[in-house]
Amino acid sequence: MTTMVGRPRAAALLLFGPAVIFAVAATSVALWTLADDDAWGPVDRREAAVVQSDTCARCHPEQHASWHRTYHRTMTQIAEGDALLAPFAGEQLDYLGFRATMERGPEGRPRVRIESLGEPVGEVFAADIAMTVGSHRYQQYLARIDREGAGEVWRLPLAWHVAEGRWIHLNGAFLEPEGNLGSEEDYLRHLSRWNDNCVFCHNTEPRPRAAADGSFSTQVGELGIACEACHGPAGAHVERHANPLRRILAADTALRQDGSIADPSEMGADRSSEVCGRCHGNRIARDLGAVLRDGDGFLPGEELAQVSRPIFADSALGGSADTPFAERFWPDGTPRLSAYEYQGLLLSPCHEGGEGLGCGSCHSMHESEPSMQLRREHRGDATCRGCHDEGAIPAAHGGHSEAISCAACHMPRVTYGLVQGMISHRITSPDPAALVGRDDQPDACTQCHVDRSRSWAAEGMAALGLRGGQAAASPSVEESWGSRVLLDLYGGDPLQRVLAADALAQTSTPVDAELRMRWLLGALEDEYPAVRFAAARGLARVASDAAPELTAKVGAYDFLAPVDVRLGAVDALREVLGEDPFTGQEERRRSLLEHQERQLLWIGE
Amino acid sequence: MSADRHLRLSIALVAIFLAMGLWLEAMYGLRAEGWVDDPLRREFLRLGHAHGALLGLVNVALGWGCERLATPAAWATKIRLAAWVGACLVGVGFVAGGLLHGPTDPGLPILAVPAGALMVLTSSVAVALVRPSDIVPSSD
Repeated sequence: MTTMVGRPRAAALLLFGPAVIFAVAATSVALWTLADDDAWGPVDRREAAVVQSDTCARCHPEQHASWHRTYHRTMTQIAEGDALLAPFAGEQLDYLGFRATMERGPEGRPRVRIESLGEPVGEVFAADIAMTVGSHRYQQYLARIDREGAGEVWRLPLAWHVAEGRWIHLNGAFLEPEGNLGSEEDYLRHLSRWNDNCVFCHNTEPRPRAAADGSFSTQVGELGIACEACHGPAGAHVERHANPLRRILAADTALRQDGSIADPSEMGADRSSEVCGRCHGNRIARDLGAVLRDGDGFLPGEELAQVSRPIFADSALGGSADTPFAERFWPDGTPRLSAYEYQGLLLSPCHEGGEGLGCGSCHSMHESEPSMQLRREHRGDATCRGCHDEGAIPAAHGGHSEAISCAACHMPRVTYGLVQGMISHRITSPDPAALVGRDDQPDACTQCHVDRSRSWAAEGMAALGLRGGQAAASPSVEESWGSRVLLDLYGGDPLQRVLAADALAQTSTPVDAELRMRWLLGALEDEYPAVRFAAARGLARVASDAAPELTAKVGAYDFLAPVDVRLGAVDALREVLGEDPFTGQEERRRSLLEHQERQLLWIGE
Repeated sequence: MSADRHLRLSIALVAIFLAMGLWLEAMYGLRAEGWVDDPLRREFLRLGHAHGALLGLVNVALGWGCERLATPAAWATKIRLAAWVGACLVGVGFVAGGLLHGPTDPGLPILAVPAGALMVLTSSVAVALVRPSDIVPSSD
């Protein structure tokens, strides 16, 4: 030590040498990294492996945490622990002549047992629950059952409704007739295969792996909608960023460009909206065989149109002239079901062909609350005000107060999804005059002013100085019978009836609560369980605000109960709320019912 | 670096990074944008504040150690310089790396931190190992 320490310049060498060596090494590696094409050049993202969200969390903990709170994460989960929202404590749901029992197996695993209550009495099937789907509105359950081929997973026809805290049968979530008592076919109508249906939009990088023999060896990159659903497979990105010098040099914005990952927040409105539109916009695949084998083939950041086309009212299949999707749209082409939000955006003038408003203008995965995922800084009318300033369009234009948001009139609740009414994502200006004399489409004005006719709305537009065309036709005879919403509730198609019930239940509706409850009573007798459910939920909502003493009577009504039980509960409510608006006007009632019966629907969830 | 100058500069280093602590607290109290909403920046500014102040104290201790252990002047001068420059590089490296950070990692100035840390480390080792008898022969 003395010899070494005693040498000339030893002090400088020993004290500064290691730091100098580090500096030289770091500079060399940095220069090598800068010159390395593999560190900066384009990569083949399509061939990249899925790394899963836990890997992303190592470098992006904030983004991971914000995503982790969302309902996207819990879209599909293994059926265990907190993932299960339903008790599975022996609850029973009797419906359509069958009894479903939700219980636990010997090892505590959740299971569903379905048995027939009629002839022949006996078990239809029993299955252990493998996975859950959904966690916001309702939760559905998946079981491994080889019905048609090996490796199949089936969505059971029962769901746990989160807000109601009860089991529902999925016949009550779809807009379709109830089915026949005791019919196993009708009861199991929504026992649907997960492998080539639900798997696509409820998981990350799914691969159905459908084989010619009817079997499946389905794989998913990660259960639920995880990071790589929106950013693409991140294997190449992770590999590249394993080099810490690469990450540190990337702090320089000039070097930050990175083809290894897609970032929707840095894309234009068109590309970023396609990332959402992949699932929030039903599509027709260009190559269905490839989709059933290897997934939809979409890579975030690339054009969605390369692999599919969005479904619109006039979409056809295989060169046919038929338009099988037409009933999913209103006559003017506006989607009337959820999961068509992307189409609504494409049809909106604000989208400006992809250069204007996009999904990310209002929604965010990382800067929002889980429900609706609206951007925190864009709450209220902020997004609209980004283009339509107060000078050009005063907040209280058209005689409405500032309490009425832009969306209330320009994105009316004319969409059905997840057993409730939802706002339309086609941004429009109300024009009730164009719909005078028609009964096939609701309008923004009368969906809120539920006691008014469409002619009233059309005249009001002009009186308030709002834009709107001339009345397209003379008012129909029915218009004198009641308001637009009342006519829809008693004579509309099932979707109009649900939306009418939804409109009557809105707390912002400037109409007497008792009147609305009395009208809603009529829909409790509807043939469609989904309409009954909407009416029952609406009635409960109005009653809880305006007539809490009715809560018990409203709670006694079960939309899935046998018809005699339901009618008993309705009669009890009628004694308090009074007769429906068409009492003593049987001809009108019959006319509306006939109109209703001519408009069967088999759509929607 | 002379002992007096080293002591003054070390105490100054402590004072500067302690003052930075006040600044950080004020930013937290005022919920300053770019501070409360930027966890990476916040983490690295905190690291800079803590390391700068603590390594300033380490410098005071090393200066005292050199005198107490009668470290030969030729060594002591360089030890004080290396320790002080090292402490500055660590503190400033963290702060600048945090201020100029990228999406997931600190900026290029963070590379000063390992270099500075090595200098403080070698200084500490030298104070511990070099004896009064370890006299560097005259170069002439």
